Amino acid sequence: MKRIRSSIIDGVGFDLVLVGIPLVFLILFSGLPLVYNVLMSFQEVDLFSLGEVFRPFVGLKNYRALFAQPEFWPIMWNTVIFVFCSIGGQFIVGFGLAVFFNTGFRGSTFIRGLFLVSWVMPGLVVGATWNWILAGDFGVLNYLLSSIGVISENIFWRSDINYSLWAVIITNIWLGTAFNMILLSVGLAGIPKDLYEAASLDGATAFQKFWTITVPMMRSTTGAVISLGLIFTLQQFDLFAAITGGGPANSSNVAQYWAWELSFRQYDFARGATISTIMIAVVMVASVFYVRSTRHEVRG
Amino acid sequence: MTEELQIELNGVDKHYGAFHALKGIQLAIPKGAFVALVGPSGCGKSTLLRSIAGLETISGGEMKITDEVMNNVPPRHRDVAMVFQSYALYPHMTVIDNLTYSLRLKKTPKAEARKIAKEVAATIGLENLLDRFPRELSGGQRQRVAMGRAIVRRPKVFLFDEPLSNLDASLRVHMRKEIRALHDRLGATSVYVTHDQIEAMTMADHVVVMRAGVIEQQGAPLELYDRPASQFVAGFIGSPAMNFVDGVTNADGTAVTLDITGAPELQLPRQVACNEKVTVGLRPEHLSISEAGQGAITTKISVIESTGSTTYVGAGDAGKITIVLSERRDISVGDTISLGINTKDIHLFDPQTQMVI
Repeated sequence: MKRIRSSIIDGVGFDLVLVGIPLVFLILFSGLPLVYNVLMSFQEVDLFSLGEVFRPFVGLKNYRALFAQPEFWPIMWNTVIFVFCSIGGQFIVGFGLAVFFNTGFRGSTFIRGLFLVSWVMPGLVVGATWNWILAGDFGVLNYLLSSIGVISENIFWRSDINYSLWAVIITNIWLGTAFNMILLSVGLAGIPKDLYEAASLDGATAFQKFWTITVPMMRSTTGAVISLGLIFTLQQFDLFAAITGGGPANSSNVAQYWAWELSFRQYDFARGATISTIMIAVVMVASVFYVRSTRHEVRG
Repeated sequence: MTEELQIELNGVDKHYGAFHALKGIQLAIPKGAFVALVGPSGCGKSTLLRSIAGLETISGGEMKITDEVMNNVPPRHRDVAMVFQSYALYPHMTVIDNLTYSLRLKKTPKAEARKIAKEVAATIGLENLLDRFPRELSGGQRQRVAMGRAIVRRPKVFLFDEPLSNLDASLRVHMRKEIRALHDRLGATSVYVTHDQIEAMTMADHVVVMRAGVIEQQGAPLELYDRPASQFVAGFIGSPAMNFVDGVTNADGTAVTLDITGAPELQLPRQVACNEKVTVGLRPEHLSISEAGQGAITTKISVIESTGSTTYVGAGDAGKITIVLSERRDISVGDTISLGINTKDIHLFDPQTQMVI
């Protein structure tokens, strides 16, 4: 006891303890399930072998079976559209708002703080709220679009196969914009003001300053935001559950929701794990980009 | 001969909310002049420079650059270049890209822009650093890039905002000469802000001393040194600072009795009001140590600081009179000395208004 006490006081081995605790936590609750998930994607899993770790090894059979399913490619394509458009929308709106609030008008920090409310709300609540906004008969979105003349008849966002995926994308953009804006605001605040002053004296217009100073100086922040956005978007599950349930006819189904459906609705754990493994590979590539872009931050 | 004016400020005011940063600034800067704005921090010198640059909008008065009113002209149309205290180099651009930035904005052909930048780089010793990023440069090199970026544009006016304050002492002395030489070679007009009166005195043709938003005095460096208009300017210009001693003039106003124990009457250069309280200003370098009883003030040495070339002696009550000696003397702390001063080197100030009498 005395030795432990003094080792903490002396600081000897304390660094190892500090690193060790999160490491054990990560291995136990993230690492092992990940490995188990990958392992499962190469096994034959049924309800009877659910409790076992070493099940019959089937090689790439699960992968082949999954690729052969007729809905595989449409769902993958949906996932690409969902990820690409969500990130694009969140980033553009978030950047616009960040630049807007960075002008520092009276009350700007307060209003910027209020934007975080969207991020604090549980996904299911956001989904339920947007269900009303998106509602075909009485929804506010339809009312808005028809009153400015964009549409002539109501769109049934959640039940029309042409729009169901977009219903989730629009909601997800709303949900993720605040997070993008906060991160980008931090990046903007880190750009020294005198660079803009030097640029104005050098003859730059506001537009030129944006493209020659702001955008390049935001490169590392942008990389980080987009990599994180990719990870968060691939995790997005609540909104699908709340708004469309992946339907109708898989028109708004995406990989992460399909994995859940296969595992916990159809009890085909092997295929669910197979999809998850594919997604792990994608996320790992994104993480490499994230780590690289935060490491290459240019300041001063 | 009437000199052509480059910058003209007529009653320029600047308010930040309730704070009055510049109060009725009146300044005329001729073409080709090197003007230093000097004063303690918060005196408004940087605000004045930034107003000339257009980075601050003035609240009142009129500002002209080459006879054109510039009050509401944005910085990019003023044809002025500025060297920032922080250098404000574009961190994501190499040295050559920093230098050509303004030219690229003006759509100068790439080859020509590079040619101009290379010429400028050669004159300030940057030719081997063109492909480096600012973060790979030393403080002195960054300073040069900042100057090069200004020179490339061939502006009407160069503005310097304490450009040397982030450099070490020896480099600062060197860059002082270099900036002045550059100014003479380019024949441009320069406005230089500094809190260091030595920089102002050594570099400028015309020194403007500011305090609390007003111009206290302006003139040639030696004029400010020889004939300070106020106690503030007298104390600010010159190093070490002027000694101020209270005193009372005699019955006919031709001599003053200093408020120092054992000081006899000091003859004045000219007649002033009689039986009046005054502040007497004595420059440390004008005081000399003479044989006991021969000088004007008899006092004891309390501090001696020697730098080798010069010796600073603190004497009088609590060592409040500083004397600068350029020759070595055999003196030590506790010695009784007698201080001599030339009558013409005495400055007199009114203790109430602090203005020169």
